[in-house]
Amino acid sequence: MATAGGGAYSYSLTVFSPSGKLVQIEHALAAVSSGTTSLGIKASNGIVIATEKKTSSILIDDSVIEKVAVICPNIGIVYSGMGPDFRVLVSRARKSAQAYWKIHGEYPPTKVLTQELANVVQQATQSGGVRPYGVSLLVAGWDSHRGPTLYQVDPSGSFWAWKASAIGKNMVNAKTFLEKRYNDDISLEDAIHTALLTLKEGFEGQMTEKTIEIGVVTVPSQGELEAGKVEGTGRYKPTFRKLTEEEIRDYLAL
Amino acid sequence: MSIMQHNGGSVIAMVGKDCVAIASDLRLGVQSLSISSNFEKIFPVTERLYVGFPGLATDVTTLREVFRYRVNMYTIKEERAIEPTIFTQLVSSTLYERRFGPYFIEPVIAGLQKTPSGSYEPFIAATDLIGCINFAKDFVVAGTASEKLFGVAEGLWEPGLEPEDLFETISQTLMNAVDRDAFSGWGAIVHVITKDKVITRKLKGRMD
Amino acid sequence: MAATSAYNSPGFDFSNTYRNQFLADRGVPLPKATSTGTTIVGCLFKDGIVLGADTRATEGPIVADKNCEKIHFISDNIRCCGAGTAADTEFTTALISSNIEMHALTTGRKPRVVTAMTMLKQMLFRYQGNIGAALVLGGVDITGPQLFTIHPHGSTDKLPYVTMGSGSLAAMAIFESQWKPDMEREEALHLVTLAISAGIFNDLGSGSNVDACVITASGTEMLRNFVKPNERVEKERRYVFRRGTTAIKEEKVRRWVVDEEEVTPVGGEEMDTS
Repeated sequence: MATAGGGAYSYSLTVFSPSGKLVQIEHALAAVSSGTTSLGIKASNGIVIATEKKTSSILIDDSVIEKVAVICPNIGIVYSGMGPDFRVLVSRARKSAQAYWKIHGEYPPTKVLTQELANVVQQATQSGGVRPYGVSLLVAGWDSHRGPTLYQVDPSGSFWAWKASAIGKNMVNAKTFLEKRYNDDISLEDAIHTALLTLKEGFEGQMTEKTIEIGVVTVPSQGELEAGKVEGTGRYKPTFRKLTEEEIRDYLAL
Repeated sequence: MSIMQHNGGSVIAMVGKDCVAIASDLRLGVQSLSISSNFEKIFPVTERLYVGFPGLATDVTTLREVFRYRVNMYTIKEERAIEPTIFTQLVSSTLYERRFGPYFIEPVIAGLQKTPSGSYEPFIAATDLIGCINFAKDFVVAGTASEKLFGVAEGLWEPGLEPEDLFETISQTLMNAVDRDAFSGWGAIVHVITKDKVITRKLKGRMD
Repeated sequence: MAATSAYNSPGFDFSNTYRNQFLADRGVPLPKATSTGTTIVGCLFKDGIVLGADTRATEGPIVADKNCEKIHFISDNIRCCGAGTAADTEFTTALISSNIEMHALTTGRKPRVVTAMTMLKQMLFRYQGNIGAALVLGGVDITGPQLFTIHPHGSTDKLPYVTMGSGSLAAMAIFESQWKPDMEREEALHLVTLAISAGIFNDLGSGSNVDACVITASGTEMLRNFVKPNERVEKERRYVFRRGTTAIKEEKVRRWVVDEEEVTPVGGEEMDTS
């Protein structure tokens, strides 16, 4: 019999313990809590999501690591926890977004994509032969129905909308920090700076454009909305993008 | 005779000033035998969006249910009413899914599209039986009288018609076209959609 | 899963084919889909590619759409003209556009024209010509300007000037007599306009306006309705009927409560740019 942590309920199958816990999910959350810190802040005119991109050795080529991922032109996600699990979810999310586009001729609203992702994550908690995903996600996006929205998805498959949230190693401190700093009419520029300050709190080593990643959602202006699709493309201007290293360097310099 | 002519029937939609109209005949037949004079082919999708299904009657009924289901699922999942442009894409992708075994229907869509500023904009579209969309700025036609409807509409339609004038134009277009089509007729129904109301009228027409 | 999902699995649904084949066997001809009779062309010039298309869609002898779009978006640097069954060109290019976008996201690179060409030819070959799409694919990528034609069965050509569709002979006559290497942008655009016009005026399957698209390394310029040689003249008389002309049997009015409240734009206030 296994004895560590959840006793007999800690291995393999996601099975309820007599107290009603799914210990595998709690272990998955532990994997998230030992992952690098990520955070997201919703501003009045956009959203910022950011994360640490730290490598265990200076010998690793960090230029190919991607922790903030574009899902579709209006949605991006970031994670804390297990990198490989994240990659699988990114791939699923992109496929889901494209499938939605093929049916509706537009990309999914943030909530619909989040729900779809949460379903994938939830399925892993009650399917045979699989383990829960070892990641928490922050999903940031803009859509014409709900405007800019920020969601968090956990290994259990539950999700909530946040004004600001943090996940990973330093989440408790980061959330306390965000609670102190947050107000409803914060601008995107201020939110980016707050995001950097929050990351800095628990950051070990030098914070540079190489060691963090940032993604932003920008809310289109009324003029842009009325202009509609970009002429000759049949598509709207993207609302989510990743900041380039140069842009991050400029923010860090301020 | 093509299967599209089997049950007969025609639909037309037109754009007016801040309004749209969609109209159809009411005939259901089996080849040259008329069966019913109250077979409606136009159905409401949302408050300001209607769709017409001219073609094989069995597919009219089937597709009506298919889209009722899909639109309801969309409304529940997205917590919002479906907009005409998105509904058109949904119709198109649903029909193209059966590219190699199509439904014998050529849908006509008419509605008011919500703009980013909160106002409403006229929208009409039609697709062929495998979902190729025709976005028109003036009028769209489909069904057994489509050739006649094209001709009459081309002559009578003009831009900027008020709802009441649009009603007369679409009604006269439909009535005169179906009078020269053996497979359409037996009464007609017209829906004029404006931002605050939908006016539905049944027309008096030839019953032969 | 089928019960919980609003949509069927990807791919085509053949469940109606039994019924439809039965009808066909009983001598009921199956109806025709909208086709784009079409003149589409592509032409290489000094800095890139010019694509051109007419804007007529036909259903047999009937003009179904007088101003449709036949130059389809694949990616920012790639466009594709479509001739043949209209729905097939529309959906095939949309599918490849979607796959190209996925490919660009996973590789982190700008898509190449050969990639789109290979995806298209493999798909069309798989369907053995049953997907009736005849395409002209053009774009500029890291390897420079690229121009291809793709036939419905999946064969491809790589040429400096190409034409497709029912007006391809008329258009090719123009290219064969006037095309030359290393043309300037304006020259190439003019030549494409001539080629499409040849299709519009000499081929019954083609008509209405000239759409053009210029793709260079610095960007893509979509010239929708670049030339409109067949504009409808304004009617000299109005044909509005006097209200009350049409006899009505019954009337039903459904009124909606229209919210007159001021609507604030989604996403809150506009960004302060002062």
